[in-house]
Amino acid sequence: MTTRIIVFGQLTDIINSSELALDNIRDTDSVVEELNNRYPALVSAKYMIAVDKQTVTENTILKEGSTVALLPPFSGG
Amino acid sequence: MTEKKIKNIFITGPISPTFISDSIAKHNTKTGIGAHSIFLGQVRRDVINEKTVGAIEYTTYQEMALEKMHEIREAIFEKYPLTCMHIYHSLGNVSAGEISLFVFTSAPHRKAAIDACEEVVERIKAELPVWGKEVFEDNSHQWKQNKTEN
Repeated sequence: MTTRIIVFGQLTDIINSSELALDNIRDTDSVVEELNNRYPALVSAKYMIAVDKQTVTENTILKEGSTVALLPPFSGG
Repeated sequence: MTEKKIKNIFITGPISPTFISDSIAKHNTKTGIGAHSIFLGQVRRDVINEKTVGAIEYTTYQEMALEKMHEIREAIFEKYPLTCMHIYHSLGNVSAGEISLFVFTSAPHRKAAIDACEEVVERIKAELPVWGKEVFEDNSHQWKQNKTEN
């Protein structure tokens, strides 16, 4: 199972991209753990997580085809 | 989520004053309206650590933003007796001095128009997944931070 990860705002500077794919990731905690290993600067970054456009506050099991978005504090307007 | 069509609010680049005046003019047939309230957000030429902001480059998570905007729109119409409401937000590059947000509420009476306009602006700033990158005149950048009352 491949999970699509999209990132926005200042997180694109850390990841050097706005999108990546992770294989065999079970839940959102595992996404965070894997990304923290790959991008240590992410550990201290502030963001919310959305799974398929819904923000989640607890560890969430991912489904086939889920998109996980990392959303730093909003600054529109 | 209702079945009503989700409207796009995003415009590439700045919102032109002509677009705003045309938008006002289109309301001359809606004669039940007695009050319009308009908020315009303009890109500020801030000076941060001796570097001057030349422009803000806006990006969004569009699908999520439009769903959220739809939800806000429904809640505002539920709460205030409005005749209509129009919202436009820029994406991409907007130079200092140009308009990046246009919120336009209309109602039979002023209080609903004014209060709804203010609430929509606050909710957009707090809840819409949009990010502004402040690009300095030397092409370096920093990510904008929204203050609660600014």
